[in-house]
Amino acid sequence: MKHLTNRGEAITLHCKVGGAMYDLNKALGDISSIRRQMAQSTEFRGYGPATLAATGAIAAVAAAAQALWLPDPSRNVPVYLGIWVSTAMLSAALIGAQMHARTRRIHSGMADEMIRMAVEQFLPSVAAGSMITVVLAWLAPQAVWMLPGLWQVIFGLGVFSSCRFLPRPMLAAGAWYLMTGLGCIAVGEGHAFSPWAMGIPYGAGQLLVAAILFFASPEGVDESQDNFE
Amino acid sequence: MKAKTTSNEGRFAYEGLDRVIHERARLSVLTSLITNPKGLTFGDLKQLCALTDGNLSRHLRVLELDKMVEIVKGHEKNRPLTVCRITPSGRKRYLEYLTTLEQVVRDAAKGAKEEAAQALLGGLSVSRVV
Repeated sequence: MKHLTNRGEAITLHCKVGGAMYDLNKALGDISSIRRQMAQSTEFRGYGPATLAATGAIAAVAAAAQALWLPDPSRNVPVYLGIWVSTAMLSAALIGAQMHARTRRIHSGMADEMIRMAVEQFLPSVAAGSMITVVLAWLAPQAVWMLPGLWQVIFGLGVFSSCRFLPRPMLAAGAWYLMTGLGCIAVGEGHAFSPWAMGIPYGAGQLLVAAILFFASPEGVDESQDNFE
Repeated sequence: MKAKTTSNEGRFAYEGLDRVIHERARLSVLTSLITNPKGLTFGDLKQLCALTDGNLSRHLRVLELDKMVEIVKGHEKNRPLTVCRITPSGRKRYLEYLTTLEQVVRDAAKGAKEEAAQALLGGLSVSRVV
């Protein structure tokens, strides 16, 4: 009979501890919720102006490389895609690595929350841009000339969706990418694969983004002053 | 053994539990203000924190003296209006407090989990022996 009593006591204790665990987990959930609300009212400072300017320079170098080694990209679309997809991947890796380090330094208490929000805002554009590349390159090669314009339009939408947590003038960068993308599509198939149809929009666009971040969120300003509503 | 004791020294000290914030009413005032960055009127704050006029004034004074909140007195439609806002320093201290509080809850949850596992194991071993 004793073993039944002991087992009963163990179960009772287990239930009590289970109740306490529920309360503790609820408390952790409440703390996360407060931190999320704080993050939503904080300007994101994880994007570094120098790194973004560097990605602009990378785009200009990629355009120069294309002008030099790929004189007729319309006849060699896979190489053209290779140049620009690898440029995008290199830039994304640079921005991602720096964003991780910078966010931990500047937004120490809510870094994970801030990174999650920044990724959530830009990820749909990255996914849409990747999927449209695959679909046009494999299934609709006759429309592949629209890719540079579409990339810029989609990138612009990504910038717009991130604007809520970035300095207000960032809307100008979103508008820049939207306009250059539409311009690329408007000039038509003849000039769509020109190296400068990508080099100028991304080179100048990233410099514009870097300048906005540099002047609107100076390095010396403390993170706690970022309450921007 | 000694090395372990040394490494665990101050393990549960929780220095970040700021005494000014660690009071139910003030914690409630600061949480309301942090989730409303534009600020809250005295009336709204009183309602959100379920405090009386006197109590809220007393706690706001403590927070204001510690430069954690700012109180702006003005007028709206010819009626006096008091707006309370959290300061950048208050925001920073609240965030530090929240991080420590989270650590306290995590430590407690870890302890509770171990206790539950031991209780279950203890119950099973006794039943096997008998």
